[in-house]
Amino acid sequence: MTLELVVLIKVVPDGKEVFVDPVNFTLNRSMATNVLNPADENALEAALKIKDEHGARITVMTMAPPFAEPFLLECMSRGADQAVLISDRAVAGSDTYPTSLTVAAAIKHLGKVDIVFAGEKTSDSSTGHVGPGVAEFLEAELATYSRSCRYEDGFVIAERELEEGVEVVKIPTPAVVTVITDSNNPRRATLRKKLNAQKKGIIVWSLQDVGLPSDWVGLRSSPTVVKKMLPFPAIERKGKVIALDMIDDFVKELVDSGIIKRGGN
Amino acid sequence: MSEFDAIVVGGGPAGTSAAMRLAANKLNVLLVEKADPPGSKNVSGGVLWGNSLSGVMPDWEKTAPLERYVKSKGIGFLTKDSSIDINFRSTKFNETKTGYTVLRTKLDQFLNKKAKDAGVTVVTGVTVDRLAFEGKKVVGVEQDGDIITSDAVILAEGANPRVAIDSGIRPPLKDEDVAIGVKEVIKLPEKTINDRFNLREKEGFAGEYVLGFLDGGVEAGGFLYTNKDSISLGVVISMKHLRENNKTYSYDIVEQFKNHPSIAPLLEDGKVDEYSARMVQEGGLASIPKLYGNGYMIAGDAAGFSFSNGLILQGMNYAIASGIAAADTVVEAKAGSGISEQSLSRYEEKLMNSFVLRDMHTFKGIGDITWGSLIHQKMPGVLEKVMLGLFMEDGEPKKHVNQIVKEALKSSGLKSSKLLLEGYRMYKRM
Ligand SMILES: Cc1cc2nc3c(=O)[nH]c(=O)nc-3n(C[C@H](O)[C@H](O)[C@H](O)COP(=O)(O)OP(=O)(O)OC[C@H]3O[C@@H](n4cnc5c(N)ncnc54)[C@H](O)[C@@H]3O)c2cc1C
Repeated sequence: MTLELVVLIKVVPDGKEVFVDPVNFTLNRSMATNVLNPADENALEAALKIKDEHGARITVMTMAPPFAEPFLLECMSRGADQAVLISDRAVAGSDTYPTSLTVAAAIKHLGKVDIVFAGEKTSDSSTGHVGPGVAEFLEAELATYSRSCRYEDGFVIAERELEEGVEVVKIPTPAVVTVITDSNNPRRATLRKKLNAQKKGIIVWSLQDVGLPSDWVGLRSSPTVVKKMLPFPAIERKGKVIALDMIDDFVKELVDSGIIKRGGN
Repeated sequence: MSEFDAIVVGGGPAGTSAAMRLAANKLNVLLVEKADPPGSKNVSGGVLWGNSLSGVMPDWEKTAPLERYVKSKGIGFLTKDSSIDINFRSTKFNETKTGYTVLRTKLDQFLNKKAKDAGVTVVTGVTVDRLAFEGKKVVGVEQDGDIITSDAVILAEGANPRVAIDSGIRPPLKDEDVAIGVKEVIKLPEKTINDRFNLREKEGFAGEYVLGFLDGGVEAGGFLYTNKDSISLGVVISMKHLRENNKTYSYDIVEQFKNHPSIAPLLEDGKVDEYSARMVQEGGLASIPKLYGNGYMIAGDAAGFSFSNGLILQGMNYAIASGIAAADTVVEAKAGSGISEQSLSRYEEKLMNSFVLRDMHTFKGIGDITWGSLIHQKMPGVLEKVMLGLFMEDGEPKKHVNQIVKEALKSSGLKSSKLLLEGYRMYKRM
């Protein structure tokens, strides 16, 4: 049977163009253009690699207003086979909890699924909740922070990049894999695939389609409360230049400024 | 059977006009533009001259994103300390608009959207690699190994025609055929612009400058156009000169222009919003490649259709008109004997009968003048001396004008016989 892969994506404001409003401490996105969340590009590429090797059907999916459509088409233009947009007024204001719930419901609605890919986090809110949340609702295995992964006879073997080092895990499908940013080189869209994607179009589902009551989602069913946002103070760099062959001076400088500590003996 | 009646490569003014015209004639058209969104990489100082767009959009003056109409046209000669300007303002421009300033990012997106609305299949964000051939006949385009088929291809890929060159249908560009254009968009409040340029709402200024003061005697032309709430400003430097003076960077030249004592006050407190550099075709008639073949035509900048006489820089109007002519040629060929080299030769005839190739013929060889040391190095200095002679009260006895001119010429090392000769040549070619 063909492998069924799902890639979750989110359209986010371009991080370079978003800033915290210094007066009322909210995120000002008004100037920003929309982009595909960077880690999601790597998630799609991870799925495409498995498709290259084993053959698979890839469904990209997002819960968003209709403005996400061109981004779904872009994913199809890189090699995804179909795209689902879950769009419903009732989900407005949802935090990561009802979002995971809705996406999981949509994946179930799709039928059999082997691996769900998601970005490790989104660049606009950085919670990293949705991938694990979906795994929870699907009762699927989970591998977070994957820098590469492959499929082998009903298992996913993923290299997880952790602070302490790299951990290799082997988990049975169905599984959710969250992929770290910049872990691969996303391929480019081709003209032929763009044409096919435009011809095929995307699938739009409402809450009713995925079988969720509207009072399970939206702002009211979201436990998160954002109290305040604060801007990060910019870090002043000293800009000191030390010649490459003066490594001793360099180390001394680091020790003197308390960045590293002298060893015990 | 082909997938499309026609494929248009490039979504600039030439390509979008061609595509709209084809779609208006019920043909099945694919337009491929490499930038996404369209226009995001296009540089233009931005005066859209003339009325060519009416060929695809009769109501363009009402619907297109136009910044201001040209109410005031300036020509300036700048020396290190001075500027000698001619500023032509006319209420005649209120009735018949001769040109509008535009921002290409907005205009190109608008044109691509209009093409889409007209039924064109618009694909952005992919670069066509080359033409696809079957024998000598062009049967479509190639991209990343795939071939998309069509009966005809219109190449409208702009001033750096990689597809045409890589497909072997035109020779690579020569240095003397191209100039480098560098543009900045500088944000300023609408009212500030109105005050500084003496304009009312919707009225605009378009100025071209001879920069006679640049370090190392580099020859470059400057331009400055007012948008609604920004100024487009930049320089055009011939590639040949840039290479000969390989220490000069185009960026420095823009800075020197911006810091000129007559220009700087116009830009004060402005914020640079955009910066980009691109090629401009300057080769004129001599650099125009073969314009058509079996299954293809070349339009716009890709064909070298642009006009610059030092007082004005035009390309968009030629691009639009040639795009429309190419589209009409396809329409007629398909309705008649079909697409062949023979039937597409009508394209060149159409251009010969329009201002596109007529202008190119009328002004052939003008590059020798506009890129000559007379205009760039001698003229501004001579003019400055004459003006100072006339208007600088230095306590010396006054002189006759002819005396002042004679002395100015002498100190510039120009012989009056040479000046007459050069002046006559210039006069003839302009
Ligand atoms: C600094 C500067 C100032 C100028 N000022 C003026 C002015 O004031 N008035 C005026 O009339 N003209 C001006 N011009 C000239 C004018 O910009 C051009 O003549 C005009 O843009 C030509 O239109 P075009 O459609 O032929 O090409 P372009 O506008 O260059 O459009 C070509 C398009 O093709 C796309 N493309 C290229 N290769 C491919 C490919 N392989 N596959 C898919 N897409 C591709 C490009 O992304 C581009 O969008 C100026 C030019 C410069 C550089």
